[in-house]
Amino acid sequence: MLLLATYASSHAALRAEKALKAAGVPVELIPVPRQVQSLCGFGLLAEVPDGVLLQESGAENLWQVREPEAGQWRRTYEPYP
Amino acid sequence: MSPTRRTLDARGLPCPQPVILARKALAEGGFDTLEITVDDAASRENLLKFGAYAKCQVEAVDEGGGVTRVRLSPQGLAPAPAKAEACPLPEGGPGGGPVEVVLLSADGIGQGDPGLARLLMRGFVYTLTEAERVPRRLLLMNSGVKLAVEGSESLANLQKLEARGVEVLACGTCLEFFGLTSCLAVGGITNMYEIAGHLMEGPTLSLG
Repeated sequence: MLLLATYASSHAALRAEKALKAAGVPVELIPVPRQVQSLCGFGLLAEVPDGVLLQESGAENLWQVREPEAGQWRRTYEPYP
Repeated sequence: MSPTRRTLDARGLPCPQPVILARKALAEGGFDTLEITVDDAASRENLLKFGAYAKCQVEAVDEGGGVTRVRLSPQGLAPAPAKAEACPLPEGGPGGGPVEVVLLSADGIGQGDPGLARLLMRGFVYTLTEAERVPRRLLLMNSGVKLAVEGSESLANLQKLEARGVEVLACGTCLEFFGLTSCLAVGGITNMYEIAGHLMEGPTLSLG
């Protein structure tokens, strides 16, 4: 599943990105969407089987990401789990 | 078995409806060729780009009077057709209308910490992929060309923008300067004459 992890700070998000990539987990650093509450402006998108690795990376909150409907461009986010 | 054809009449439909219809029809499948009739030049161009992106054999038949039949024949397993439409922007003068050209003249946004600058640029390019309205062109100059080469964190997002119909153009002099000409992985190479021409076409946003 595609999850978004949010962090307490940009530095924490960058540290988590580095650690997860080093562990072979493909992640993408993206600006946190408006509908997602976060202190930090950046979060990590990752296609993972569950939220364990992201929680271990120091994530504050996790969100399940839904791809946009046809003709729409914005992903939507629901609290996970 | 003779080849099957599905036809769609998309005349009179505003952009991006013809491409959305084509995308839905391709997803449904059940035919060898999809033929979409349009009467709008932008829709025609977007369908041609979309067809190429969706790995279709593409053919455009001019029917006269501005009407075109676009034939898309899926070739084997097509990728899930993604975002592929960029629509013409409403009329607007410089400073007054929507942005038509985005110029990224660095691989980061703003001065100060280079790491933060690059983080902001990555975020900006990602956010563009989710924007309702995308520019016609994205011009990359100076270290901005590094966004479009192999290994760039923004590469996949620039490819998404290209699939939405944004023309991505990188400065050839800049690529050559950084020794990256052979590493360009999205868009095309352009020169100062083209860049200057595009920047004068309409409202432009410059970041870098």
